[in-house]
Amino acid sequence: MGTRPLRVAAQFAAAGAALAASLAACSSGTSGGAQPANEITVSSSECGGAWHVPGPGWYTFEINNQGTTGAEIDLVDPANGAIYAEVENTGPATITPMRLDVGSGRYAFLCSFADYDPQQGTVVTVPGHTAGTPAIAPITYNDLIPLAKRYVTEEEAAIKVMATETATLAAAVGGGDLATARRDWLTAHLQYESLGDAYGAFGTFDTEIDGRADAVGVSSPQWTGFFRLEYGLWHGQSLKSLAPVADTLNRDVDQLVTWWPTQEVTLSDLGRRAHEVIENALEFQLTSRDDYGSGTTLASTVAAIKASQVLLALLHPLLAPRYPGLPAVYSGLDQLQSLLEKEQRPNGWWVPESALSVSQRQAIDAACGQVLQELAPIAAITEPRNTLNAF
Amino acid sequence: MPSDSTESTESTESPGSPPAAPARRSFLRGLAGGVAGGVIVGGAAGAAAGYAYRGVPADPAAAADQASVDGVVPAVPFHGKYQAGILPSPSRATMVVSFNATAQSKADLVDLFQTVTDRARFLTAGGIPPVVGINGPPSDSGVLGPTVVPDGLTVTFGVGSTLFDDRYGLASAQPKGLVPMTSFPNDDLDQAQCGGDLILQLSAGNADTVLHALRDIAKNTRGGMQANWRIDGFASPARPAGTVPRNMLGFMDGIANPAVTSRKAMDSLVWVEPGAAGEPAWAANGSYLVVRLIRMFVEFWDRVDVGEQETIIGRRRASGFPLDGASLYATPNYAADPTGDIVPLTAHIRLANPRTAQSAPSQILRRAYNYDRGLDQAGDLDMGLIFTCFQQDIQRQFVAVQNRLIGEPLVDYISPFGGGYFLALPGVTGPSDYYGRAMLA
Repeated sequence: MGTRPLRVAAQFAAAGAALAASLAACSSGTSGGAQPANEITVSSSECGGAWHVPGPGWYTFEINNQGTTGAEIDLVDPANGAIYAEVENTGPATITPMRLDVGSGRYAFLCSFADYDPQQGTVVTVPGHTAGTPAIAPITYNDLIPLAKRYVTEEEAAIKVMATETATLAAAVGGGDLATARRDWLTAHLQYESLGDAYGAFGTFDTEIDGRADAVGVSSPQWTGFFRLEYGLWHGQSLKSLAPVADTLNRDVDQLVTWWPTQEVTLSDLGRRAHEVIENALEFQLTSRDDYGSGTTLASTVAAIKASQVLLALLHPLLAPRYPGLPAVYSGLDQLQSLLEKEQRPNGWWVPESALSVSQRQAIDAACGQVLQELAPIAAITEPRNTLNAF
Repeated sequence: MPSDSTESTESTESPGSPPAAPARRSFLRGLAGGVAGGVIVGGAAGAAAGYAYRGVPADPAAAADQASVDGVVPAVPFHGKYQAGILPSPSRATMVVSFNATAQSKADLVDLFQTVTDRARFLTAGGIPPVVGINGPPSDSGVLGPTVVPDGLTVTFGVGSTLFDDRYGLASAQPKGLVPMTSFPNDDLDQAQCGGDLILQLSAGNADTVLHALRDIAKNTRGGMQANWRIDGFASPARPAGTVPRNMLGFMDGIANPAVTSRKAMDSLVWVEPGAAGEPAWAANGSYLVVRLIRMFVEFWDRVDVGEQETIIGRRRASGFPLDGASLYATPNYAADPTGDIVPLTAHIRLANPRTAQSAPSQILRRAYNYDRGLDQAGDLDMGLIFTCFQQDIQRQFVAVQNRLIGEPLVDYISPFGGGYFLALPGVTGPSDYYGRAMLA
């Protein structure tokens, strides 16, 4: 009884079409009764028990957590720990579906309960030569820890570069030459935008160093940082009145230099940030939202590409064997960058995003949107996962 | 022209006397409960006529209303000689989106058209989206739940004249009748909401189905095309039941249309015929699509007495009857009213379709939807009409009708601000075919 409707569903998914209306009608509102599933019981002492499937096909396993704590449940290849499917954050006394196309091969559940070592359940062999959902070799905490350490060190060096640049900037603003001040502002700001950690990891420093005026308004003394300075430098405010703003920025960056090495990187952020920095550029730079007068959001987008590339270079050894779309990510970022760099003028300044023609903007948005689709799987692939100690 | 531009002396797609609604509704409930027979019968009826259209047997408005409430309007067969979204009566929900092609090469453009085809094929049939597992974000947005329901979705895909510039080497494939939309004397066009290399119309029983389809198609084509403008629309239920849905002026809209069940009418008015003079061979079985986005100044209109409203339109507001007629589908007798004492000579329906032998070839297949998108600068409602029509020849049909309407009294209450001329591509004939295959060959 348990598998027959599932096999119908499998044929339906494969064949596509004509039954869609009637099947959808059947299952809507009767999800429990119409599609009984294989129930898999897990607890701190049991990991799936005895289970079987009659052959390859689409299955939904209902993961019934009868333990007393939360758990991550994976379906793995017992030969090497590669993961076919997972459900995360299953709470006690909950049932969570796990759906996959089971192919020929060996399967076992791996149960990771909070405060317990992961345990592996019964090994089930599905005979034949039918391909199903492929298993991916998990990335572990141990894989990511050395990368995170390297990343902190690299970012620390980049922050120190920025600190020298904000010092130069503060001196330029104090020196009273507008052209120099604007040039030094751009140099320092792009350095900041090229830090992957500017997206989320700097806490209140980000507000102080690169906060938008949204919350307080452009005339508020509470508004500080690069954008505040940009607003003044491009809205006719005197350098004398901006000198304290530049000094505050420089001081805040110095404090960041001191604070940063005391921080821990969340391991899952490494992969996540590789696409988040580009998402951020799409949201704030390619819409001109972050343009406070200099018209350099395309340059900021190039800086975000650099931030993404730093993270990808770090993760490359882990991604290359796991993600067939990786070459498209690299070429997509390169294509986006070359489209953006066409908009840099010979004098070093940039065409404002708002001044692009429709076709220029659409070409850039298309390249950005496409590479974001290619980047999206990286966060899931590089999320650290529990494994048996044997692997 | 927000009311009815095409008055026809032929039988209309909606029979004059409404059928017994309760029986029809219970039939559809049976269908919703999983009886696939109705789908097959409807599909077979369409196929027998040579058209892939939704073969709802009678009282389509009532049937569509109930099915859209249930969220299970039957699937419309995707494959066919013609695109499936052209002939059906307006669905409850629609969206029109204009795109520019951003594909880098001709090969990328082919890939784009194949991808749009693949997505449309899946979305119109429904099914379970692929499971990605731990390799990335889910393949589907989940907006329609774990199983994508077809909900009567149609995906109508077309091309604009700008696709045939020098980017993809398609200049020699440009259809003769495909030109940029001209501005008419009463227009106030915003170029940002006009034209486009590509046009996509998504129609279904419900707005979530339409939005789901857009998100699916867009995420699979980000590098290949970028949206220029977009508008959401809806068709109201017929009120009272058995009549014709109303527009935002309160008048029934699209009472008369050429009969979609008439092969002769469709071949002479809607489809680009194989071998048509000056048209490339690939365009055969396509249909020219005109989109006009028309703001209605509804506050102003609501301050006009109903008698004046009715003389502007030429129909009774409450009943939809022509001013000289005693039933909804009555044919106005203009010959008996040469000076316009009953139906004024400047009434919208009389200008749009003078019902003469000379004007007959200018009939269009009119498919109008209402839109509603917030407020204007003065706080007035930004609502109106997404006028779409299909035809064989834009100059002979839409342009001729529009030229007759220049200066009509209605223009004070409406303002066309966007849209474009497109060619809805020939249908995708089978699993190995794709949109525009012959055009791109």
